[in-house]
Amino acid sequence: MDSMLDAAIWFWIPLMLIPLGMWFSVSGKAKKTGFVFSISGLILVMASSWTVPSSDSSAAGHLLLWISGPAILMCYGMYGAVFGGNVPVGKLDSSARLTGFAAVLFSLLIFCLMHWSNLTPTWRDGQVNPYWIVFWPTFLLFSTSLSSLSAIALLSYGDERGLEAVKLSAFSVFMAGIAIAGIIFDGEKISAEEFQDYLWLAAADIFGSLIGAGVALGVFATVIWGYERSLPPPKNTHPPTGEEIDYVVNLAKKHIVGEDE
Amino acid sequence: MLAALLPVLVIISINVSFGDDLHDESFKRFGNAILTSYVLVGLILIGNLFFYADSRHRPFAPLIGMLCAIFIGLIVAWLLISKEDLLLEANSGLRAQMLMNIVHGLVTSSAMILASALAIGFTFAMITGRKRRLLFLDDEE
Repeated sequence: MDSMLDAAIWFWIPLMLIPLGMWFSVSGKAKKTGFVFSISGLILVMASSWTVPSSDSSAAGHLLLWISGPAILMCYGMYGAVFGGNVPVGKLDSSARLTGFAAVLFSLLIFCLMHWSNLTPTWRDGQVNPYWIVFWPTFLLFSTSLSSLSAIALLSYGDERGLEAVKLSAFSVFMAGIAIAGIIFDGEKISAEEFQDYLWLAAADIFGSLIGAGVALGVFATVIWGYERSLPPPKNTHPPTGEEIDYVVNLAKKHIVGEDE
Repeated sequence: MLAALLPVLVIISINVSFGDDLHDESFKRFGNAILTSYVLVGLILIGNLFFYADSRHRPFAPLIGMLCAIFIGLIVAWLLISKEDLLLEANSGLRAQMLMNIVHGLVTSSAMILASALAIGFTFAMITGRKRRLLFLDDEE
């Protein structure tokens, strides 16, 4: 089969199935079908390094598969850390908080080992997956930036949240520390010089992606605003008749229960 | 805004202090990232527009408007990537660059989503970590 057709069938079509399934699922039209679409699309994308090894794009699928373990562990840990605390609904056992934080730290340790030890995602003849060095600095820079933003937001909008803001700032410094360690120390398969180069590219990626997404949202808002403005104003309806009011009052009486204080 | 930018600037400054100059491909990456995320986010918004338009009798005009906006984005991308050495990175041609941009966008967005989950999760973990405070005196009883 033609390699382009192969890539289309085993990578690009499954990739398109992921958002399509999400739209179906979220819109409530075909929840189960949408879920099946998304999951099967994701699995096929992740398996693309076996189904279409000739395609360079399959490196992205391979990376997603490689990081899925620590990513799931991180999300699971976060869930435990949040819901093991004082939440009004869905509170977990208080030990979930400790184990949650331990899971997050362990997942971060796995990511660090992927950079510095021989756990680095390798693809095609033992070479480092080219997208790993895109993912890792982007993840570090963005989490550092967002944690710092959260700390300031907590301090500005929260009530007596100084201690929490300090902890968040410390976390931001911790993530920045990992990035700085990448600048200084060579990994087993990735040198510090390579990481330094890709840090620039990660910063360019983050700023570019945010600006592009912002422009798209702006255009979307303008299009919707333009359309809504072009619509004729809604016509006033007649006030309800006495019969209609009686019907609504009866309906309300049937559904209102409870005692007077 | 400064809170978000400052850590990135500090890390980049440390990077520069280690003797690493601005990477040659940084501008190309920046330009490609803008165009790719514009087109991809635009497509996601079109999807939302289509699937959530039932309550408004599925109007056609905004769909056409967004399709035109994305088409303009694609034309700009095509022109800039075709223009000799402006946005073309280490790829064989226009098609390879555009496909690479999409895959690159997938990886970058995965990294950003995971980083957001970590940062937002950590923020809520900090918020829920504090003991409940008394809001009203009645709570003491």
